[in-house]
Amino acid sequence: MEQREFLKIIRACRRRMHIADFLKKSVSALSIGAGAAILFQAAAFFMPFYYADLYMMMALLLAELSVFVVMFIKQTTMEQAALMIDSFGFEERVVTAYEHLGKEGTLIGIQRKDAMEQLREHKDRIRIPLLPSFKRTALLFLMLVFLAGLSLLPSAAKDRAGELHSLKEEAREKEDEIEEIMEALEKLEKEKLTKEQQEELHEMRESLEASLSEYQQAFSEEALAAASQKLDYKYENMSSQLSEIIQDLQNGAGVSVAAMDSLEEMADKLKEMSDTELAKGDGSDSGQGESGGDSQQGQRGGAGDGNGQNGQRGQAGNDQNGQDGNGRGTGSSSTPHDYVSVPNAIADSGNLTGNVENHDTSQYFRAQTGLNWEGTHTSYEAVIGSYEQNAYEGIAAGRYPSGMEEVIKEYFASFND
Amino acid sequence: MDELDRSRFQDPVYMAQRMAACEREIQKGIIGQGEIIRQVMLAMLTGGNVLLEGMPGLGKTRLVSTIGKVFDLSFKRIQFTPDLMPSDVTGTNIIIKNEQGSYFSFERGPVFANLILADEINRATPKTQSALLEAMQEHTVTVGNVSHVLEAPFFVLATQNPIENEGTYPLPEAQLDRFMFKLLVPFPTREELKGIVALTEGSKEPVIEKQMDGEGLLAARTLVNQIPIADAVMDYLLEIVMETHVPNPYIREGASPRAAQALIRAARAKAFLEGRFNVSFQDVKEAAYPVLRHRIIPAFDAISEGITEDDIIKKILDAKTALAGR
Repeated sequence: MEQREFLKIIRACRRRMHIADFLKKSVSALSIGAGAAILFQAAAFFMPFYYADLYMMMALLLAELSVFVVMFIKQTTMEQAALMIDSFGFEERVVTAYEHLGKEGTLIGIQRKDAMEQLREHKDRIRIPLLPSFKRTALLFLMLVFLAGLSLLPSAAKDRAGELHSLKEEAREKEDEIEEIMEALEKLEKEKLTKEQQEELHEMRESLEASLSEYQQAFSEEALAAASQKLDYKYENMSSQLSEIIQDLQNGAGVSVAAMDSLEEMADKLKEMSDTELAKGDGSDSGQGESGGDSQQGQRGGAGDGNGQNGQRGQAGNDQNGQDGNGRGTGSSSTPHDYVSVPNAIADSGNLTGNVENHDTSQYFRAQTGLNWEGTHTSYEAVIGSYEQNAYEGIAAGRYPSGMEEVIKEYFASFND
Repeated sequence: MDELDRSRFQDPVYMAQRMAACEREIQKGIIGQGEIIRQVMLAMLTGGNVLLEGMPGLGKTRLVSTIGKVFDLSFKRIQFTPDLMPSDVTGTNIIIKNEQGSYFSFERGPVFANLILADEINRATPKTQSALLEAMQEHTVTVGNVSHVLEAPFFVLATQNPIENEGTYPLPEAQLDRFMFKLLVPFPTREELKGIVALTEGSKEPVIEKQMDGEGLLAARTLVNQIPIADAVMDYLLEIVMETHVPNPYIREGASPRAAQALIRAARAKAFLEGRFNVSFQDVKEAAYPVLRHRIIPAFDAISEGITEDDIIKKILDAKTALAGR
């Protein structure tokens, strides 16, 4: 046997050992990865854990990746391959011959010859198993099947995790949006603004920071909706505040065109955001609510029926002057809305409720604490002013469904026109 | 076997065959004790000395005399007793008187031979023991101010009785370390005993023929020392020796570096005797028992629990074998 053939046998053995080692390590590593993934999936089964599937995949991928890294670092050497060959009854002849290949000497030469002869004669003895043990492979297979089962099995915790995740996503989007606006506010040229205007801008920033904090702590749908409503209200306020600032600046004419443009752009943007939010809210909310009140002494009694659908505000219906008036508004959309906020400050009753797409459960009642209750004389402006103030506070506190804020605002705006 | 061909003393294959023939020839004169014969052969091939521990009458003297015949070596037997003096072993200067006058002349003791059987070495005083131990280690004998070199090959086979300890001077650990092997001579089996009786009590003694000579034995030793060892085997061997120094409740003192040297030589000699010119893990394993058993000092726990040196060595070998995946 020539030296080349001798080395060829060792190399072939090394290659086979490498593959066998890779498969063995893969099975072991994947078993560990699958074990970890089972823990993730089991956790997701009982508690909200949205990224369980992702973590599962990462655990398995990481396990396999570690095998590649280990295999790259700890490659099978020719000496190890020679030792492996020797374990098939060659009594360390092969490894000794391999290690002394470049050396000369009578005994070394005889030993090398002896090793090569033995290898040629008994080459068929060398049988390196390629596949990992059946037990380990079967165990891995069972773990993977179990893992797939756990992953596909639905559970309340998984549904909840999905909901929480969409909430977080929504909150994150809002946070980005707020940060963007805060950044834009920061960049505005403030040198030409009056102290009051700067104060206003500062308040806007503080207000936005508060909203940002609310979004960061919004862990429920209700909290998120409330934060959104507040933000929407703030946007609209800010838009009008900025418009006023622009108006003042135009009159003063002391600000650069670029600064003016950026202010206008900001105001438009805020307005646009506010409108978008409302549209979103109207489109996504549905439900029917009744609000009403007797206005015995009012100069203007409002009775209006309105329908709102897909983001369009309901139109005020009949507007009559009269001593008595009641208002009724309906809104509907294909997207369900799961709660109705009751403006207790106006119609102070906990019985005023409405359910999702359940128009029959709407109630009409007589409010006991109407501001212009019988026997008292209150001016029209005071009544409207008080109502309006309460309504806006309610909007800011997030007490109303997101679709209703615009309706309320429109309603009160119509009195001012 | 053919006549000894001196021109082929450098031929490893021929020499390995001759040594195997020597082993077979010795077995003709000794019934059973195959393992003891093998170990003694290994010691001879590596220039080491052997301490035999066993009951009297197990054929130790016969073994040495047979080896002497097979290797054509001079053989002396020294019975160690408490009153044996060092000069009784090494020889002494005596006054010679003749026509020219009187002068001192060195009279060689029984140690001046190729093969020495030091029977019951532990019965002599430490002073006498040390006289032999110098010869074993240095292959010289010092009398007065003059050192006398012993003829090569020089090989000592000492015996001690494991049960009669009264009035003995047990060899200290440092002196035990100078023996390459400590062999435990077992009692023969029934069949072996039958063969021994038939051999010794029969009318016809087996004819033992010379298979090798001292020069050939020295040539074989040179070849044995050249046998290559793979790194993995060397590591395994060193790990075994080092393992005796790892904290172990059964070991008070581990083996000396001399143990590693002896283990390498013994493993090489074993491979050579088997006609192989590389050392295997199995060679190391088999050589470990006779090399290490007198170099490990068992702790009190081992003695109290009846754990022998061989048990400790077996544990070490098992652990190392499991780690090496062999």
